[in-house]
Amino acid sequence: MTAPASLYAPRPCRLLTVSGLTPQEKLFRLQLVDGSSLGHQPGQFIQLSIPGLTEAPISVANSPTRGTVFELAVRRAGRLTGALHKLAPGALIGIRGPFGRPFQLDALRGKQLLLIAGGCGLAPLRSLIQYCQDRPEEFAAVHILYGARSPADLLFKDDLAAWQRSERLDCRYTVDRIPADSCYDGETGLLPRLLSQLELDPANCSAVLVGPPPMYRPVIAELRRLGLSGERRIMLSLERQMRCGVGKCGHCSIEHLTCCSDGPVFWLEEVEALRGAL
Amino acid sequence: MLKRLEEKDFLCLLERIAERWQLLVPQRMSDGSRLLLPWQGGLPVLAGPPLQRKPTEVFFPQLELLLELDDAGGVALPNPPEKPPALLGLDHLDLAGIAFLDRFFLSPPTDDAYLRRRRGALLVGVSGLAGAQGETLPPLEGECDLELILAPDGLLAHPHTARGTELLEGFAEAAPDKLAALDRNATELLPEILLKAARLLQEERVPEDFWEEIAARCIACGGCNFACPTCSCFGVQDRTFGKRTERSRLWDSCQLDAFMREASGHNPLGTETLRTRRRIYHKLVADPLRWGEPGCVACGRCDRACPTGIGMFALCEELVRTCDRHGS
Ligand SMILES: Cc1cc2nc3c(=O)[nH]c(=O)nc-3n(C[C@H](O)[C@H](O)[C@H](O)COP(=O)(O)OP(=O)(O)OC[C@H]3O[C@@H](n4cnc5c(N)ncnc54)[C@H](O)[C@@H]3O)c2cc1C
Ligand code: SF4
Ligand code: SF4
Ligand code: FES
Repeated sequence: MTAPASLYAPRPCRLLTVSGLTPQEKLFRLQLVDGSSLGHQPGQFIQLSIPGLTEAPISVANSPTRGTVFELAVRRAGRLTGALHKLAPGALIGIRGPFGRPFQLDALRGKQLLLIAGGCGLAPLRSLIQYCQDRPEEFAAVHILYGARSPADLLFKDDLAAWQRSERLDCRYTVDRIPADSCYDGETGLLPRLLSQLELDPANCSAVLVGPPPMYRPVIAELRRLGLSGERRIMLSLERQMRCGVGKCGHCSIEHLTCCSDGPVFWLEEVEALRGAL
Repeated sequence: MLKRLEEKDFLCLLERIAERWQLLVPQRMSDGSRLLLPWQGGLPVLAGPPLQRKPTEVFFPQLELLLELDDAGGVALPNPPEKPPALLGLDHLDLAGIAFLDRFFLSPPTDDAYLRRRRGALLVGVSGLAGAQGETLPPLEGECDLELILAPDGLLAHPHTARGTELLEGFAEAAPDKLAALDRNATELLPEILLKAARLLQEERVPEDFWEEIAARCIACGGCNFACPTCSCFGVQDRTFGKRTERSRLWDSCQLDAFMREASGHNPLGTETLRTRRRIYHKLVADPLRWGEPGCVACGRCDRACPTGIGMFALCEELVRTCDRHGS
């Protein structure tokens, strides 16, 4: 059967490998059954479909510069993501997309980048980080700042270690708290602390933020204090309940904007004044 | 060209339509309300209270199969209806509601599920002396294929599209002065009270405790949304039968707590106050920003549906009164 033309028709994908990231998160490597590439840009998401359990929006966690296999880092949050966590390599699942406005690469080129992630937000940001690694000539400097709740919640630990070793990247992370039995000896404290350690050239610096809702205001306040003011300096990716991913179901609206198709990536000034946006 | 339809001509027109379309016409229920139902012969009830249910449900039904999935990744789409629907007896507000949903669902990316039902549909409007108490309904523009006009001395018909012209072929012409006895002035869609409320909302002049007070009366039944011809929000559900899964969409309501709740628990519309404000703000401010037109056609259905009296009109009247009090 050929895939019919419909906004709502998922395309079949093969699950290639599954690996554990944390007790709640796994990394899924997938490929479209017809072998074609997903065609995404960093910051975009797909609608993951499992028959019987409808769909969930999930960010693409790797860069389009890394071939036709794409990766999803998924937290076990409920029914669909729980079922996904039980699947073994070889399984078929459906995807729609890629959807949404990606990170605005044109505006980031030539800049010193602050890539700031909290929690699951590292998944979409990893796509951009890999892109920066693969196109080093396009960016002046890349700082990665990441915050997780505890050492066990740190995502992509191997990547974090490799990014810290890399000469091109400056990678720092912190955790909110350390349980008594942990041998973690890195930073603790909230994300804005990492920011104050940096030497920035605020006139040539842009920030990209992806994280849980409580992260935005304190980080934005710190960025402003460091001199990132004016338009097109701070880009953020917002989460909403999403049912369709294509601007039709209404669940993701933020006043007159539609998070799935006008976003999920916005410039701060596009959403800052909108009620309930941040 | 204006035509005159005797009773036998009107029945002949209905038959012509029914040959090519699934014809729905207004019929009177025992409680006096009117519903659009399949034509079974006989004359439709053109004059009377507004259609009880929103006519847009023909194109965007309460529950609709989107597609079928199988275990092997196969996807099958439902077939379009054998005959496209013809909706007869729509007034200017019904047509404005359809025009709004058309723009919403058909603007890129085109919603193919909506298009499947909408494609080829025929719209027959009604104007003239067709109001509930015999009052005059305003003339219709190009939003319908064909306009039926209830004039004091009989039924007239005016085509707006080539299909409309074709359907009226062979009927007797009517002199244009047949319309002279009718008020044929177009009316503004939004009544003054809603325009005023929209302005106050836009200017952020509505006090926060107004929303709290109104929201305290909402019982979150969703009736306002389900009655509204321009409400387009939907949820998605799967039902599995062996190896086959049916994926459907169904109307959803922004007045319900789960509407925006995320899996993480975060809920941008987590209080009734936020949700009530959203319902009104979305239609009167957000839609004009996005679509150039308000998302309310002032049909009054939400006011009739709301069990606690906080539909669009009632709420806007209270809103304007409250702001006047605050302002003075
Ligand atoms: C743009 C975007 C990108 C994302 N990227 C990632 C990612 O990379 N990794 C990741 O782990 N997560 C990501 N998420 C979050 C992820 O989508 C949710 O965790 C996922 O939807 C949970 O689905 P579930 O069915 O397992 O959870 P459940 O709790 O079973 O269901 C959650 C979803 O079901 C629906 N729902 C829940 N309750 C109700 C109700 N009462 N009525 C109606 N509908 C309801 C909603 O759509 C809700 O989002 C992203 C979200 C967005 C918006
Ligand atoms: S009056 Fe109510 S039901 Fe009618 S269009 Fe406006 S909001 Fe919708
Ligand atoms: S109809 Fe009235 S009570 Fe019901 S959800 Fe709407 S506003 Fe609330
Ligand atoms: S997810 Fe449906 S409109 Fe955005």
